[in-house]
Amino acid sequence: MKRRGKGIGCMWYPIGFTVMANPSAATVKVNTDGTATLLTGTVETGQGALTVLGQIAAEALGISTDDVHVVSGDTDTTPMDTGAIASRTTYVTGNAIVRAAEAARELLFEAAAPLLGVKADQLEARDKRIQVLGFPSKSLPISEVALHAETNVGRPAIGSASYNPPTVPMDPETGQGKPFNTYVYATQIAEVEVDDETGEVEILRIVAVHDCGTPINPMLVEGQIQGGISMGVGFALQEEILFKDGVQVNPNLTNYIMPTSLDMPELEVELVDNYDPTGPFGAKGAGEPTAVPTAAAIMNAIYDAVGVRITSLPATAEKVMMAILEKREQEAKSA
Amino acid sequence: MVTTVKDVKTGAEALTTDKELTAPAVKPVTLPSENPVVYPLTLPEPAARTQTPAVGQRASRPDGRLHGLGQTKYIDDLTFPHMIHAKILRSAHPHARIISVDTSEAEAMPGVFATLTGKEIPVNSFGPTLQDQPVLAGDIVRHRGDGVAAVAAVTEQIAADALEKIKVEYEPLPAVFDPVEALKDEIKVHAPNSNIYASKVIRKGDVDKALAESDHVFHREFRTQFVEHVPLEPHSSVAMWDGNGRVTIYSSLGRITLGREDLSRTLRIPQNRVRLIGTIVGGNFGGKNEITNEPILALLSKKTGRPVKCTYTRGDEFVSSTIRHPFIMDYTTGVNNEGKILARKIRLVLDGGAYCSWTGTTIGKGSILAPGPYNIDNLLVEAYAVYTNKTTTGAMRGFGAPQVCFAYESQMDDIAVALGIDPLEIRLRNAFSENSFSPTSQVLQSVAIKESLLQASDRFGWKE
Repeated sequence: MKRRGKGIGCMWYPIGFTVMANPSAATVKVNTDGTATLLTGTVETGQGALTVLGQIAAEALGISTDDVHVVSGDTDTTPMDTGAIASRTTYVTGNAIVRAAEAARELLFEAAAPLLGVKADQLEARDKRIQVLGFPSKSLPISEVALHAETNVGRPAIGSASYNPPTVPMDPETGQGKPFNTYVYATQIAEVEVDDETGEVEILRIVAVHDCGTPINPMLVEGQIQGGISMGVGFALQEEILFKDGVQVNPNLTNYIMPTSLDMPELEVELVDNYDPTGPFGAKGAGEPTAVPTAAAIMNAIYDAVGVRITSLPATAEKVMMAILEKREQEAKSA
Repeated sequence: MVTTVKDVKTGAEALTTDKELTAPAVKPVTLPSENPVVYPLTLPEPAARTQTPAVGQRASRPDGRLHGLGQTKYIDDLTFPHMIHAKILRSAHPHARIISVDTSEAEAMPGVFATLTGKEIPVNSFGPTLQDQPVLAGDIVRHRGDGVAAVAAVTEQIAADALEKIKVEYEPLPAVFDPVEALKDEIKVHAPNSNIYASKVIRKGDVDKALAESDHVFHREFRTQFVEHVPLEPHSSVAMWDGNGRVTIYSSLGRITLGREDLSRTLRIPQNRVRLIGTIVGGNFGGKNEITNEPILALLSKKTGRPVKCTYTRGDEFVSSTIRHPFIMDYTTGVNNEGKILARKIRLVLDGGAYCSWTGTTIGKGSILAPGPYNIDNLLVEAYAVYTNKTTTGAMRGFGAPQVCFAYESQMDDIAVALGIDPLEIRLRNAFSENSFSPTSQVLQSVAIKESLLQASDRFGWKE
């Protein structure tokens, strides 16, 4: 008989990593037509990082995403970066980019101030223009200001900066300290159907609500969450490298089973309204946490469905069936 | 969808409101080639990419368009004049002393350009925290994925055939596979050093006293498994050593700054003679955070004067790249009658595999996160990572977090069931709030755990 159950998994996750410092550097160059080039030493690993980093640079310069071209991943041309790891790119590299873009923007403000008859600190960059704070009708296109800065003033709008999250070392005896600058939070709730005659688990639905601070690009965060859940499903129910005497017995995709699209449940993804003042425009990160609470939610849903606590992953049909049989045996004994 | 940014166009709206997108104005262009492919080379930009403010826009990815058109160049798509191909021979034993490696027969094969062994690596060790891993094995192999020798040949097939001609004489050593056995240090993976190569303690309050005073104490052991990242694109690199002694390497690595440092160190050349180019990576998930075959290809290129490529097979990917740490997690939790957690004692044992890799960060994050997103005044977390003669465990999406989350959330439901409290309610009673103290006594800010619980339960219809 197929039995339904629901289960919650919630989690917290740090942005960045322990052990060593975690800096990123960036360079932002504003071209004389008002477009810009961003140099970053991180690498696009399929998560959309370069798009998000371009959006961050664009926001700081008051231009659009499409106005920013991102150059990445070449040690000859790009500044140092600790890399695409530990859900750190949006937060750490993003913070470096904000600072680099602000440095370039400051040169634009200084070039524009005499033209607009105000001081540099009275200016803002918005909608592709340098404009007076509180008096936007007095403004100049960024392209004009950038050209002026480079060809008349002789100070091209190029900014470089770095960022390293402030931490406090952990005490070796007690572990007390501040190993990370910020954390994100999330809840996933799974609904499953367990066949109590075969032990097979089908995931019907997962609701995922994640906090990433400001979503720089909500579409890409949603994509990360969907992908993370598929990894979580594999961790929960299918994936396992088996060893015999130190030899992997299933090092191939015929015998190492991973979720395919047919194994994926209905996903309902939402973001929590949140803002972290230490992140770029309030952003934290989203990459790894998306895969964290899925297995927990599924195991709790299995318990809710058939009353067995799975204590070792993955919860294969055999393992779930054995647990159900064991439970029946115990119930029969005590009856 | 709830987001923090107002006036964000949803993807669906952008598609239906942006007329240009639905009717490309430009006629597709046919490129001349053997198999003509039609590329719509000019497409209008979606509005989300051209609007200000940029933050909060559902901007599409410029690389996504290239993927869709097949224009993205992954490493294995790259080819250079006179390029040759490398393959790496893996250990025949999980733990053995190498008596000799004879590559002469392989080198004599037509089409083979060069071979390489561990003894030829200038500095034969690397690793992000402990430099305990050889590029190619030296005197000892410590797991079946250890490289023993490499061959560069005119084709991948000749290189693979040549591996079979390499004669390696081993003296098998006793091996340890079970992490609990390995804790006893009876068989050492890195003799004379202990198998316990990383540990972590987090201590707060008085856990034993608080457990004794708890109304209920729950105990359970949880275990997790080895998991492979399975990126669609396996590890792949091309190395070119030029006449000025400068090496250019295209690599699927996700951290090129540290990769260049590792290459400079292992090859013993200045950093400014190493150019490391990270292309678009076809999936990483933590598995491409350190060098693998790059120094081998660099040295084979130096020997042959040719560009050398190596793309791992799926089998190489499983046995020689890093995988996720299995955790053995012992949880003891004391609560009062209302389900408030008073104390939690946790012991973690991480199967570290043959080399350290990213265990330092995994044990750190795993320990800090292990108590869960809950206010707990009395805590003890003790974690140990041990070497075993199995595949090296390293960074993988979450660095220990999915493992400990499985344990702390399973036990949360054990407690809820035993006390007759709803699983949502027991979490809300214990969850962090703004300015809560973390297990390491850090003041937490921008905390959103209760918000995520409430929003998710509303969306799910938890109370229905």
